Amino acid sequence: MVSEHIIKSYDEELQRLDNAIAQMGGLAESQLGAAIEAVIKRDGDIATEVIEGDVQVDTLERDIESLVTRLLALRQPMARDLRQNIAALKIASDLERIGDYAANVAKRSIALNQTPPVKPVYAIPRMGRLCQAMIKDVLDAYVERDADKALAVWLRDEELDEMYTSLFRELLTYMIEDPRNITACTHLLFIAKNLERIGDHTTNVAETLYFLVHGTPLAQVRPKGDRSSLAVVRGASADQPEEDE
Amino acid sequence: MSEFTVTADSPRPPTLPRPVARPREPATATQTTPKVVIKDVHFFYKKYEALKGISLALQDKRVTAFIGPSGCGKSTLLRILNRIYELYPGQRATGEVLVDGRNILEPGQDLNLLRAKIGMVFQKPTPFPMSIYDNIAFGIRLYEKLSPGELEARVEEALHRAALWDEVKDKLRQSGLSLSGGQQQRLCIARAIAVKPEILLLDEPASALDPISTQRVEELIAELKSDYCIALVTHNMQQAARSSDFTAFMYLGELVEFSDTETIFTHPKERRTEDYITGRFG
Repeated sequence: MVSEHIIKSYDEELQRLDNAIAQMGGLAESQLGAAIEAVIKRDGDIATEVIEGDVQVDTLERDIESLVTRLLALRQPMARDLRQNIAALKIASDLERIGDYAANVAKRSIALNQTPPVKPVYAIPRMGRLCQAMIKDVLDAYVERDADKALAVWLRDEELDEMYTSLFRELLTYMIEDPRNITACTHLLFIAKNLERIGDHTTNVAETLYFLVHGTPLAQVRPKGDRSSLAVVRGASADQPEEDE
Repeated sequence: MSEFTVTADSPRPPTLPRPVARPREPATATQTTPKVVIKDVHFFYKKYEALKGISLALQDKRVTAFIGPSGCGKSTLLRILNRIYELYPGQRATGEVLVDGRNILEPGQDLNLLRAKIGMVFQKPTPFPMSIYDNIAFGIRLYEKLSPGELEARVEEALHRAALWDEVKDKLRQSGLSLSGGQQQRLCIARAIAVKPEILLLDEPASALDPISTQRVEELIAELKSDYCIALVTHNMQQAARSSDFTAFMYLGELVEFSDTETIFTHPKERRTEDYITGRFG
């Protein structure tokens, strides 16, 4: 483990920063969990709680920003300490976005409650669980300064992307088959997209943590499983030329 | 199934580039040439070994900072570079110090020439008890025979280069001791560069100065480095970080780590370096 600073209060401030990140991450993760629950249970009360809870995530981000500003101004951190401060700023901003997406999911769930249930909704908790697991693991990795664990989270995002691509296709099919599904499926699509974005921000956190531990950026290209942007609806009508495979 | 198909399999996404190691860019991209090459230098105060085999090169037209706790040998190393230690009995150095390829530790070295080539400025300003003008002219007169006009021009040039001219041009006949601490230190730097050295050794040049004077000296270092090879010993790590291109961390007579300054202060390789610069127990 890293040894202590000669000035004890410096250690305490850095520890406070770590605690704030852990707290903010825990909050973002539970917000996401509750938002998923609101979707599955079609529970508007839970959704409202999540939407109102987002302000706490935002407050924690500002707390972290002022902690870092203070540390930079008063302690002039170097090397690992400097990286910890830079990393905290970046991670806080990613966690804040994750909180926003969780609140978005909750908002969509309220709209979704106005429509009859559609079958593809079953995929949402699967994606949500994976997101939550990734956030939890990356936070554990942060606390333990475990770059390998962060790397594992970083690689798992591909799985989430694949879930998203397959759900995207499924939702398109549902909408094509019955236009009455369009409202529900569109909301589900945005929910899935929000979860997919949460995965991306979680990989950002993993990358930042890698930098914090090693002092160099993670210079690899992440495997991407999200190919929904390439998906097309192919009509079999005569005026559309057949594309070759 | 309807006649529609939804597919994400085509068109194929572009092939992803394979992971590549990002090439590391050194802090100083431009080419450097070594001016001073130190090879396996040991130094003894009688029986005590103060330096235990130091090897590194000082690049020309660059600032190399030496950091480390008191007693680590950084000032000792500087004192070897102009053989000033020989003024004291019982001190000796072994190894090689090549300046432009010539070993200055060899007996045949002309010490006066060496010290003209290598200027040194100390922690405490050390102006001579004479006028500002004579403080600068003194050294020049030792090495060169100049006409009064030429001498005057050289004094003025040195004071300009040390960013002191505007402050002293109207009182060149006043005592050097009448100046403020920061001005005295710049006077000493002017005195050092007046004899046209190639290497400047600065041993904590700003540690006794207030913040404004410190910044003036740092700005001066930044300007001077376009012409000199500069070695800077400092206890102020921010100063080393701001002012130098390369940084050497020394501990208990050993060179622990030597790298470009950015690497030392953002991600040093050695645990002891990291502990020292982040203020932890070493």
